[in-house]
Amino acid sequence: MTLTPYAQNLSPEDAAHFVRRTRFGGTDAEIRALVGKDARAVARAALDFDQTRAARNPFDPATGATPGAMIQLTRAGWLYEMIYGPHPLREKLALTWSNHFVVGTDKVRNESSLRQYLTLLRRHAATRRFEEFTLDVARTPAMLRYLDNDQNRKGKPNENFSRELLELFTTGIGHYTEKDVQEGARALSGWTFTGGRGNKNFLEEARFEYQKNRHDPGEKTYLGQTGKFEPQDIVRLAAQHPQTAVFIARKLHRAFVADTPDEKAVQGSAETFRRTHGDLRAVLEELLSSEAFYGSRQRIIRGPVEYIVGALRTLGRPELAAKRLVNLAQLSGRMGQQILEPDTVKGWDGGREWINDSTLLLRMNLAASLTLSKDAPQVKPPTNLALTGSERDLLRAELGKLNDKQRTYLTMISPEFQLA
Amino acid sequence: MSPTRRDFLKFSALAVAATTGMPGFLARAAAQAGGEKTLVVVQLTGGNDGLNTLVPYSNGAYYAARPRIAVSRQEVLPLTPNLGLHPSLKPLMKLWDDGQLAWMENIGYPNPNRSHFASMAIWHTADPAQAQADGWIGRIAEKIGDPFCASNIGGTTPQALQASEFTLPSIDPLDNFQIRVPANLEGAFNTMLSTPRQGEADYLRRATRQMMKNTARVQANVKKYKDGAVYPDTRFARQLRDAARLIAAGVGQRVLYVSLGGFDTHAGQRAEQDELLATLAGGLSAFQSDLEKQGLSEKVIVMGFSEFGRRVAENDSAGTDHGKGSVMFALGKGVKGGIHGDSPDLEKLSEGDIIYKQDFRGVYAEALNKWLGLSARDILGGDFGGPGWVA
Repeated sequence: MTLTPYAQNLSPEDAAHFVRRTRFGGTDAEIRALVGKDARAVARAALDFDQTRAARNPFDPATGATPGAMIQLTRAGWLYEMIYGPHPLREKLALTWSNHFVVGTDKVRNESSLRQYLTLLRRHAATRRFEEFTLDVARTPAMLRYLDNDQNRKGKPNENFSRELLELFTTGIGHYTEKDVQEGARALSGWTFTGGRGNKNFLEEARFEYQKNRHDPGEKTYLGQTGKFEPQDIVRLAAQHPQTAVFIARKLHRAFVADTPDEKAVQGSAETFRRTHGDLRAVLEELLSSEAFYGSRQRIIRGPVEYIVGALRTLGRPELAAKRLVNLAQLSGRMGQQILEPDTVKGWDGGREWINDSTLLLRMNLAASLTLSKDAPQVKPPTNLALTGSERDLLRAELGKLNDKQRTYLTMISPEFQLA
Repeated sequence: MSPTRRDFLKFSALAVAATTGMPGFLARAAAQAGGEKTLVVVQLTGGNDGLNTLVPYSNGAYYAARPRIAVSRQEVLPLTPNLGLHPSLKPLMKLWDDGQLAWMENIGYPNPNRSHFASMAIWHTADPAQAQADGWIGRIAEKIGDPFCASNIGGTTPQALQASEFTLPSIDPLDNFQIRVPANLEGAFNTMLSTPRQGEADYLRRATRQMMKNTARVQANVKKYKDGAVYPDTRFARQLRDAARLIAAGVGQRVLYVSLGGFDTHAGQRAEQDELLATLAGGLSAFQSDLEKQGLSEKVIVMGFSEFGRRVAENDSAGTDHGKGSVMFALGKGVKGGIHGDSPDLEKLSEGDIIYKQDFRGVYAEALNKWLGLSARDILGGDFGGPGWVA
C-alpha cells in the first residue's frame, strides 16, 4: 500500500503548510510563490538541494579558544545556516538525522569530528542509499567516540555502539537478541579513529581508522546470518533488516507529518523504503506530496529550534547581531533542545514533551524580544497566512484592536503558531 | 490542611474539569496525600554502577572482576564490615552516622532490559510490561486530583510525571518561573486562551493556562524562603536549592523530581563516576542542611534510583557495560538508616550481571504507603512487599 498522491494544485493554505513543515516557516511572499503549483513538482524542487551554504556565516568553530567556545560556535553556526542558509529543507533533515544518529557534545568535543559529522548529515540529508549513510555515520570519529566503538577490540568488546545501532538507528527494539548485540560488538571491533583526542587537541583533525589487529576475525552469528563478519557487514545487515524500513519511515513521519503518526501511512513509506532499498529521496518525495502530508495540519508541536528558526523565517530573516544568535542557540538549550546534545542517545522524543511551564515561558519571552522590545528587528508585519498557516484570521476577535507588533507577539505565543 | 490548599484543590479540580472537558473527573474524590510531607525523587540517568557506589570491599570476587576500576579498600568509606561508600560520597557520611541514610541492595525487576530507554520507561511507569503509558507520579497527581502536587525541577518533564489528564509542571529555574505579559495585553492574551480548540492546539492552550496558574501561585509564596545553606556550584545543586525553596514556600507539591545525568560509563569510568557521585553527594548534603535550617527536615525524604546497574566485570575500556540490578538510596530524618537487603552474590551471575532480589516497586510502595499516605496498590496496580526503609 503506497501513499495516495495529493492531486490538487496547492492552495495558499497548502503552500503555507508546506513551507512551515519543510522550511521551518516563511514570509507571505515565499508562500504565495508556491500557490497553484503541483504538489509533486513542489516536493521535487524542495528536495533538489545542493551543498551550498549560507554566505557570510560569522561563526567559525575553528576560531574557538576553548572546547566549550568551539562547541558554542558550532551550535550558533548551524542555527545561522538554518535561518539564513539557501536550503532550509536540507537543514531540517540534517536536524532530524542529528536526532536519529545521535552524538553529543558532552563526549564529542573536537572541532573536526563535529564538522565531519554535520557535513555528512547534510550530504546524506535526502540520500539515495540509507545503508551508505549509516555506514558513513558509523565511521565518523564523532560516532566512534560518542558510542565508544573506538574502545571496542578483539576479546575486549565494548557493546555500546552495537546495541544502539540496532535499538536506535536501524531495527528498533524487539527485533534482535542480546546475542546479536554481543556478536555485533565482536564484529565491529577494530573501527576506531586517530587524532583529536583529549581536551587540548580539540582543534586537531580526527580520522577514521580500521585497526585490523584489534578486529575479532572469528565467526559470528548476527540477525540470523553466520560468517566471519567485518564491521561494515554488521552495519549493512542492520540497515537492510526489513524492520529498519518501518523504524526510519516512522521517524520521517514524526518529523514531517504528525507527532503521533498514522501507522498505516508509516507502512506505506516503509514499503517504498524497502522497494527502493533505502532511497530516502524517493520516500521523502512521495511523503511530501501525499494526501497524508497535506491532510495533517497542526499536528506537530514545533520544537525549540523549529520555534526559533520558524519565528525568524516568518519575520523575513531580519539580520541579527552575532551575539544575539549565540544567545538564541543557548536559549534553544534552555527550552529543552541543546543543539547537538540531546539528553540521551535516544534523542528528543518531541511532541508534548517540548511543552511545560518553563519552556512556555521562554517561548513567550523570545516572542516579546522579537516583536515588542526596543531592540526588536524592524520588519514588515507578517500576515496571518505566514504566522498561522491560515488565511482566515483565527484570532481576529481577540487581537483585532491591537497594533501590528502586539498582534504578532500574541500570535507567536498562540497555540496556532506553536504548531506546524 | 490549610484553607488555601483546600481552596486550591477545589479550584484546580474545577479548572481542570472545565478545561479538559472531563466531567468524570469531578466525581472522583480528591485523595489527600499524607500531611504536608514531601518526597524528592532523584534520578541518576544513564545507569549508575551500584557496585562502585556501595562497595563490597571485603569481597575478593569484586576485586577480581574489576582490576582497574574497583574502589580500593584504602579508598572506601566503611559502613559495615563488608560494605562501604565510594570516597566521593563522603559528604553523606554524617547522615549515615545519624541514621538518616538508607541503602537498598539488589534492586531490579523481572526480565531486566538492558536498554536505557526501555528500562527507564519501566522505572517511570512502574510497569515492567509497560502497559501503563502514564508515569507513576502522574498517577499520584491524578489520585490526589491536583496537577500541582508533583513537579519536575529541570528542563524536560520525565515520563514518570506524565498523566493522561494533567500536565505536571517542570520548573527550571525557579527564578524564571514567572509570566511577564505587558499589562495592556493581558486581556487580549486571556481572551485568546479562552477559545476552545481541537487536538494539539487545545493541549497547548490548556498547558498555557495551567502554567499561568502555577507561576502565580509559586511567585506569591516563594519569598518565604531564606537561604539556609551554601550549595555547590553545580546545576544539580541549584535544582535541589529550588526544591528547598518550593518546599519552604509551601505551595503544595508532594513530590519533587530532580535528575542528574551522565552515568553511562562505558569507558574511563573512575574519572566520570567519581565526579558524578561527588556532585550527587555535595548537592544532597547541602540540601539536607538547608532543610534542617528551615525547620523542614522532618517533612522531606529523598529517594534515589538509576535505570540499571552495570556489568560486574569491567570492560577493556576501563568502564562497564549495561547491567541489571543495582542499589537505591534514601535519606532524611524520616528514613530508617542502614543497609536493607542482602548484597548480591558476585560469583553467581546471570549473563555477567547480578541477580536482583528486590523488586523496585516494593521500594516505591513503602514511600507511597508510609510517607505519602496513599494506597500503593492504587498507584502501582498490585501489592509489592519491600524493605522497611521509611521510619
